[in-house]
Parts: sequence; C-alpha cells; structure tokens
Amino acid sequence: MKSDLDKQTDVLIVGSGIAGLQSALDIADSGLNVTIIERSPSIGGKMISLSKVFPTLDCASCITTPKMAAVANHPRIKTMTYTEVNTIRKTADGFDVDVTQKPRFINEDECISCKKCEQACPVYVDDNFEYGLGVKKAISIPFTNAVPQLPVLEENHCIRCGACARVCPKDCIDYLQEPIPQTIKAKAVVAATGFEIASMGIKPEYQGETLTNVISSLQAERLLAPHGPYGKVLRPSDGKIPDSIAYVQCASSRDQSIGIPYCSRVCCMYAIKQAMLLAGALPLGEITIYYMDIRAFGKGYEQFYAQARSMGINFVKAKVAKISEDVDRNPIVRIDRQEEGSIPQDITHDLVVLSQGILPSRKDFFGLDITLNEFGFVQSNSPTYSPAKTNINGLFVAGVIKGPKDIPDTIMEAGSAAIDAINYIRENL
Amino acid sequence: MTKDSRPKILVITTSHSSYPGANAVGQARLAYDSNTYIIRVPDPVMFPEEFYIKALTNGIAGIIIMSSGSDCPYEGAYPRLAARIQSTYTKMKALNMNINRLKITTICTVCTESFLKEIANMEKVVAA
Amino acid sequence: MSLLNTVESAEPKKIAVYVCHCGGNISDIIDVKKVAQTLSQYPQVSIATEYAFMCSSNGQDMVINDITNQGVNRVVIAACSPALHETTFRNALKRAGLNIYLYEHVNIREQASWVHKQDKDGATHKAIALIKAGVEKIIRQDALDEIKIIANQRVAIVGGGIAGMRAALSCARAGLKVSLFEKRSTLGGNLNRESLIYPTNQTAQSVVDQLGSEVKNNPNIDLLLNAKIVSVNGFAGSFQINFIDLDSKEQTIGSGVIILATGFDHYKPYEGEYAYKTSPFIVTLPDFTKILDQSAQPKALLYEGKTIKNIAFIHCVGSRQMDGVDTPLEGKNLNEYCSRVCCTSAIFTINNLKIKYPNTGIFDIYSDMRTYGLEHESLYEKASKNDVLFIRRPLEERPQIEQRPDGTFNVTSTDVLSWNEQIEANVDMVVLVTGMVPSDISDLVDNMKLPRSTDGFLQEVHLKLRPVELANKGIYIAGTSQGPMDVIETLNAANTAGVKAVSLLSLPEILMDPFIAVVDDDKCTGCGLCISECSYDGALTMTDKIVNGKTKKVAQVNGALCVGCGACVAVCQPRAIQVAGWTLDQFEAMVDAIAKE
Repeated sequence: MKSDLDKQTDVLIVGSGIAGLQSALDIADSGLNVTIIERSPSIGGKMISLSKVFPTLDCASCITTPKMAAVANHPRIKTMTYTEVNTIRKTADGFDVDVTQKPRFINEDECISCKKCEQACPVYVDDNFEYGLGVKKAISIPFTNAVPQLPVLEENHCIRCGACARVCPKDCIDYLQEPIPQTIKAKAVVAATGFEIASMGIKPEYQGETLTNVISSLQAERLLAPHGPYGKVLRPSDGKIPDSIAYVQCASSRDQSIGIPYCSRVCCMYAIKQAMLLAGALPLGEITIYYMDIRAFGKGYEQFYAQARSMGINFVKAKVAKISEDVDRNPIVRIDRQEEGSIPQDITHDLVVLSQGILPSRKDFFGLDITLNEFGFVQSNSPTYSPAKTNINGLFVAGVIKGPKDIPDTIMEAGSAAIDAINYIRENL
Repeated sequence: MTKDSRPKILVITTSHSSYPGANAVGQARLAYDSNTYIIRVPDPVMFPEEFYIKALTNGIAGIIIMSSGSDCPYEGAYPRLAARIQSTYTKMKALNMNINRLKITTICTVCTESFLKEIANMEKVVAA
Repeated sequence: MSLLNTVESAEPKKIAVYVCHCGGNISDIIDVKKVAQTLSQYPQVSIATEYAFMCSSNGQDMVINDITNQGVNRVVIAACSPALHETTFRNALKRAGLNIYLYEHVNIREQASWVHKQDKDGATHKAIALIKAGVEKIIRQDALDEIKIIANQRVAIVGGGIAGMRAALSCARAGLKVSLFEKRSTLGGNLNRESLIYPTNQTAQSVVDQLGSEVKNNPNIDLLLNAKIVSVNGFAGSFQINFIDLDSKEQTIGSGVIILATGFDHYKPYEGEYAYKTSPFIVTLPDFTKILDQSAQPKALLYEGKTIKNIAFIHCVGSRQMDGVDTPLEGKNLNEYCSRVCCTSAIFTINNLKIKYPNTGIFDIYSDMRTYGLEHESLYEKASKNDVLFIRRPLEERPQIEQRPDGTFNVTSTDVLSWNEQIEANVDMVVLVTGMVPSDISDLVDNMKLPRSTDGFLQEVHLKLRPVELANKGIYIAGTSQGPMDVIETLNAANTAGVKAVSLLSLPEILMDPFIAVVDDDKCTGCGLCISECSYDGALTMTDKIVNGKTKKVAQVNGALCVGCGACVAVCQPRAIQVAGWTLDQFEAMVDAIAKE
C-alpha cells in the first residue's frame, strides 16, 4: 500500500524527455521534491531514440542515459512511468493532478528484468521505438536502455497463450491487472510534454505514407543508431544498401499550404548530422540535401556545416515539388533548382529522407485554460522577463512545448523553468 | 597479445589544458598513430628529472610534455617546469641520451593542429 | 603506514574492469571482448567485462552489484573522457557504499577509438595498455575523504546586462545574497536603447527597466555600478573578488559562486571592409537602428542632410567568414560562426523602416535567411510582402560596393534567385548587418584562466551535459558571453546559470576533490626544499611535530591554501610529500605498465 506521502510533492513534472529530466535534476538538486509523470513505459523522451547529436557527434545515449540514471537514483525524485496525466486542477495551495497508471500486466515490485517472458512470447508486434522499422514481442522491455527495466505486455496483441507466465521465475505476470487512478498534490507544475513529428502524409505530393523508400527523419535516426533495427543502413523495400540518398528539407515546415508556416529549427542540423553519419557508414554513398536556407545558427553549427561541405555532401538549393517512384521502387524527386536555370528535373535516388517538422504534442492541456499561440504551442506570458512563466500561476513550461528548438536550447529552458518553480514555491507557499 | 614492437611515445597532459585538447582532437575525428599513450596530471611540474630518465630507459622511446604554458592555472608552475626540463636535458646529455626524446610544449584546449604536429615530430624522432 | 590521511584497509584489493562499447563508438574500432579477456588475466583483476553503455542505469547497476555482491573494492572503467562521466560513476560508487576515489576512468574513446579508426589492432593494443596502467594506478590508490568547504552564500555576478540582472534576481529570490558588478554607470548593457526588439515589439529599454527596477528594489542584491574587477582568487564556496569601486577605492567581496554575464560587442568592421568608414552612408545595423529611431522626417529617412530613398542591407558582415574569401585584420581571427540573431534583427528593422517610410526601396543581400524562431518566419514573410528585393548571393561570394560621383553607391552581387544574374543596386545608403563578438574581457580571462572556444566566446564544459559550467567549479556563464543569443534565449541561459548557483549553494558546505599535497611525517627529513618550491603563501610551512615520540621538523600543508599543483613533489628525495590521488609511485607504475605492453 502506497503511503499518502507518495501523493504529495513540491514540483510535478509532466514529461521526461530531456527537458523534463533536466528540470527535475535542477529542482531536486536545489533541495525540493519532484515527481515525474511519464506516459511512456520508460523515461528519456525522444532524445533517447536518436543516433548521435550535433554538433559534437556524441551518441545521444551518452548524454541521455546518465541523466536518466541520475533521475532514477535521485533521493528526491520519484518517477511514475506508463502513467497518463488526465487533468490538472488549480487549487488554493497548488495543483491537484489526476493520473492513471496504466497496467503493464506484470508485478513491478517483483520483476527482476530477466527478459525470460520476452524470449518466450510467440507474438511479434511493430516496435514503436523503432518508428515501425523493427518488431518486438508483445511482452517486452521497451528498449535496451529503458528506465525502468520493466516489460510491458501489449494487451491488444497478447493472445493469452500463457507462455510468459510459465517461464517467469518470479511469477510476475498478471493478466488481470487494472489501471490505477490517483491524485497527486503538487505545489508547482513544470510541463515538458515535448512534440510530435509531422505525419508522413501531411504533404500529399511527397507520398510519404505510400512510397516504401521514403522514410522519416526519425526512422533515419534509428537506422543510424547504435542499437538500430537492422544494425546497419538498409532501405526498407529490399534491404539493399543505398548508394544515393537524398534529404528533402522543410518537408513539413515553412509551408503555408499545409498550415505549418514556421521553421522547425532543428531539421537543417539533423539532416547535416545524418548526412555526415551516412557518409561514414557508406563511404561510397552519394548524399544530397535539397534545401531552401541552411539554418546553422547555434554555437559551433556553422563550422559543422562547413565540415559537411568539405566531406563532399551535396547541398542543392532547390524546392522539391513532388516525389514518385520507378518500377524498382527507387524514389524519383522532382526538383525546382534555384540555381542554374529553372527547368524542373527528375532525379532518382535509392532512399529519400523527409526532414519532417515539429508539431505541438497536445491539443488539450489537461483541462487547464492555458494560453497557446497561433501555432498551438504554449505561449510564455512574459518572454522578455522570465520566459518559462505561463498565464497560469505556478505552472511553468520547458522545451519544445513552447515551440521547436534543439537540445542545447531545450536544456537552457529546463533550467529556466526549474528556477522559476523553485522561487515560486519559496515565495508563495 | 604480443608486445607492440613500435617505439612508444608517452604524452603527459594537464587536466586543465592539454588533456581536453587531446579530447578535442578525438571530437574532431582527426587521426594520429596508436603508439601514443596519454596520461593526465594536474601539472607535470610534479615530476623530478629521474622520472623522465627512468621512463626513457625502461621502454618509452619519446616523451612529449604538453603543458598549459602561460594558461597554467598554477602560479609559478610553468617556469619551474621549464627549468626542470633544462636540468633533465643536462642529466640526459651526461648519460649520452638524445635529448630530442623529451620535448616540452604548450597545448591548449583547442590546439588540435599543434597537437598532431607535436605527435608527428616525435614520431620522426623515435623512428630514427 | 599508508600515505596521506587515508583509511587503511586490511581487505585484499579486488579490482573490477569494465570496458564500454559506447554503442559502437568504441567497439566498432576496439575489440572490446579481447580487451576484457586480456584484462581478466591481469594480476589482481578479479572481474573484467564489457558492456554496451556503461553510463546507463544497467551499466551502473552492474558496477554496484559487483561491489555489493562480489566484494569488488577497486573499479576501473574504460569508456569516454572522464570529463563526461567521472561524476556519473563516482555517484554509482557512492550508492554502492564504496569510496568514490577508488575508481579510475580510462579514456579509450576520444583518445583511442576516435583517433585510430584506421588501425583497429593498434587501438585495441593501446586500450589494453592504458587500462593496465589504470589498474596499476588504482592498486596504489587509497580511499580519500572529500574536502568540505563552508560555502559563502553570496553570488558574485559580473555584468549588469539583462543576463546579469536575470541571474541576480533568480538567485536573490532563492534567498542568496548577490553582488552585481557593472563596469558602466547604468544597468542594461547593449539593450540600453529605445529601439524595438523582436518578437515582442517592445522597446529594449522597457525590458531593461522591468528587470532593473526589480534588481534595485531587491534587498538581497547589492548593486555595484562603475565597478571594475581587478582580480579573482579562491575556489568554489570561497572566492574573493577584488575590484575598484566608484570612488576608485580597492575593495574585496567574498562569494561562493561567480556568474560571468559579460555579454557581447557588436562587430565593428574595419576601415574599407565593405567600404566601411569611406562614407558616412555606410553604417552598421545597430547604427542604422539609432538613425531610424531618431529620424523625425515625415516622408523619407533624412540622414546627414541627404534623403535616403534606397538602402542595401548586407548580411553576415563579420560572421560566417571564410578562409580565402574574407580577410580579417592582421592578428584577428576569422569569425567562422553565425551570429544567430542578425538575420531576424535585420528583417525586423526593415519591417519597422517600411512602417515608418513605406516608399523606401530595399535590397537585402543574404546567403541563407536564418529567421529560425517561431515568430521569425512571419517577419520574413512580411518583409517579402513589403516589396523588399531579396538578393541571394552564393555562399563564397561577397557583394561589391562602389561609390559613384553623386555620392550614391552601386552594390553588385550575383543573385542565385534569378539564375545567377549579376544584380546592380543603386542605393543612397548601405547597412552592414553586423554580428556579435565577445566583449573584451581579456583581463578577466587572463586573471581567472577562463577557457575560450576558437570563436573567442567563453567555453562551456559541454553544450548538453554542462552547458553553463566552466571547468573551474563554481564559475558559471550566462548569456552572450557564451555565444550569440537573442533576448529570450539570454534570459533562459541566465536563469539556468541561476539554478546551478542555487543548487551548489543549497547546502552549507561544498565538497571538493581532496587532491592536495600531503606529508608522510615518517619520511619527511625536514630539509625544507619543498617550501621554496611552493608559490602559494602559507600553503606549505615547516613546523615542529612529535613523530614517534620525538620532536622533529616536518613540512605541513594548509589544506585550504594548497591547490595541488605538485611543485613540491618533484624536489622531495624521500617522497615524503605527494599529491593525494596523483602520487609519483602511481605514475611510475602506470608508465611501467605502458612500457611493458
């Protein structure tokens, strides 16, 4: 039985991507108690699924996993994974947060993360962590570095064959587990719910949902990641190693026609990074980036861009009008070059990556009447005074919830939200 | 594993400057030969003359001291180090050792090019 | 007896070696299985294993488990640079109840796998030798206690721009005392101007005023205007800031933390660079903003008696410079970096100009339009609708400026947007869109030995892991001293520096590595040679002590003043004085291990 003390905290953080993790560490290091609510089975957010990160080319895991471990082991941080936030209500002395812990269908206290259930399970399902490129078992630990190392049984796919229950050495499997709703009282809230990547079908001309060898940038991250689905860069249709790879920039950003007029800020840099990694993985490969403007504006980014040019990556100023494919399923990219004449050209590649833009992750904010801007991101109510503040007193925001941004900028916002939450509690409660 | 037959170069770096400098070489994915062994010290001023002579006698072919130079966070350490290397040279000469096998230089946190140059120079000395 | 004031343990030494794959970063080059296998045969090593990510929870748990269940009491981890994860693993040891100094971190990534890609065997061999050296070091390592320093609960902030003010307020609100140093007579730095800022469309001054009035009214903040920092001594928890106050008197203030918010300067083109200073009508963007603000003329901009009908804006002046294309002044570096804010700033200014003087003809010459922020793209959109003629030059070409006899200018550039046509614009004024350079803080940089990156801005330890920290503990950076940022980004950065200060000072004591000189009284002969080597007043003295029942002269270290440079070590024949954690015996054993391999 959990004590009532578990249901109270100083700061409740929604989301455990890099913004939520960093905010949690900054707040807890200053002496306050933190509870993190994460809807996925593991903390780590999108960053943990990335390959390497610009401009240092450190592996993303090397930056994220120690922060995940620090959060998991911090004496003042409690993490609740696989838990949805339903509503957040403002009260006289803070917030009441209704959450529902989803059933993993295992006994979490007893599980020893031995993976025997995963090995025994006969059912394969799409692996969300691999963005559909790989498969996993219907009961499995979400990914190699997941925290906590607890398997989740996917109710919709499980055939109740009992294989997992038979092999579990601790008798942990519980097919009848129910969701557990509870209410947590918090003095302040930091919302760090991150973003969604635009759907592959958002621009019909690119046929991102139908052409097999047109993949999203996050799928490309997985192809390049150390524990990726294939262990190497292969194209989906036939498992061939691609020789000619193209990036289509602004595939769903800076485009009024699809309702996303803003720049997603990270796509230029991640495409350059991926291109450099591809150049390393496929020394004979030819890599082309079709772009409008290269926006390498962060510290060390311009130098990174220069390095990519010197590595022989092709930068072509061109708008991509449409994408089709030939009989061998090679994508054909129709480009309008901005240089060297205006005749549209059809260029065939082996693999095309759409540099998909960033969208807000939520339409509702847990019943809170929070001010959003015209693009659906949370609006700061004092951007030039203390940018993490919102129109709701005691609720602060960090990271991409406020608009697209890269990891260094996100980490700065996490610290900003942290100090605001600390001082809000100090002064008001 | 068999013993490496190549002559070994010992690179003495400082926590403050040249060790991060050596990391910067890796971060830039530059390359140098693998017969180079980097150790990290607060400051090489702590080593007596005998330390170098012993290393050079016992199987190290060349030593590069990558000091922090004028960036050194420790007061008075650099002139003392420079003087000590001078007296080490005197002792080496008396022992008939090639003084080029011990080199003192200054490498900062971003001196990747100089780092590679120093390694390449010492490779020539130890190959001779 | 053991060297130093350490805990002697009778327990046999049981060493575990862990080799990290770093998700391929290491294992693609170095044969980690072979490394672990070889090390498992090495004397005194009881466990040697390899794992995908040692820094992950699983990796750390493996170490903790071996300590608790296998009796491991010395740990060697071969992975990335200790700069990244030394603290991570020390914390793991702490959780397992093992002294954090009984762990050695061996760098086989930055200094092996990443630099020996073409030589896998050589890299593997080198990794083995380095790890053996690490084992030899840790065998000779004793448990050490961290040094506790009573932390001064005051934060010294250098620079009274918006970053300094924001950091000051955040620290003061958290209950810390703050000394805010500003060399000028007013707060606000570069934002001390009436012009508007994007994206909020408020005056820069209003941003300064809001923060400034709160700073002035906060009882925890001591505002020191007209103050010039002379020197800084001390260490985290106990710094001394020596400065000259407004009455030209030298003063000292103690602080536990220092935040550097020293800001930026606008890039100043040299004479002749884009025809700068050859005519009053070649101006920089900050100059132009002022000219526009001050112009009271109704229909067209009037400047120096001339009506300005057409203007060319040239982007990337002093930014994104390229070798062989741009020529900096002798002794100056190329500014290869992008200054981040200037594209939007120029577009914003153009839009404001168009509101005030809609008939002004504008040519905007750029290479990549970097209006990256959420609201910035719409400013660009608006400028396009405002009949601004955009000319996109090739990356490695620069526009040419030629003054005509009538005082106007011909600006020529290749235009990628019109199929590489040469465009010639005849204009009355040229605005050079200049970027940011770090403010001149060379005195402070020299005095405090501050690290700077190749672009001249202060260099953080790691952009993502420790983005506002300098290598010296207790010193943080805030805002544009680190690199170009806009107002909102600056405030976020300043708040982050603030929260780090609040965390560090959240406890009354700061823990420091005990890597200072220690004397073995038994071995000390009282010769006094070490004293003359020490550069720190009072750190090392001779004293009479009773050792083994007899009074003798021995050297004595003052732990608060010794910095652990080791200058004393080299002259001590009997090896009585050593730097804890970095002893000569350890280094000799390491070099031997390398030589033998």
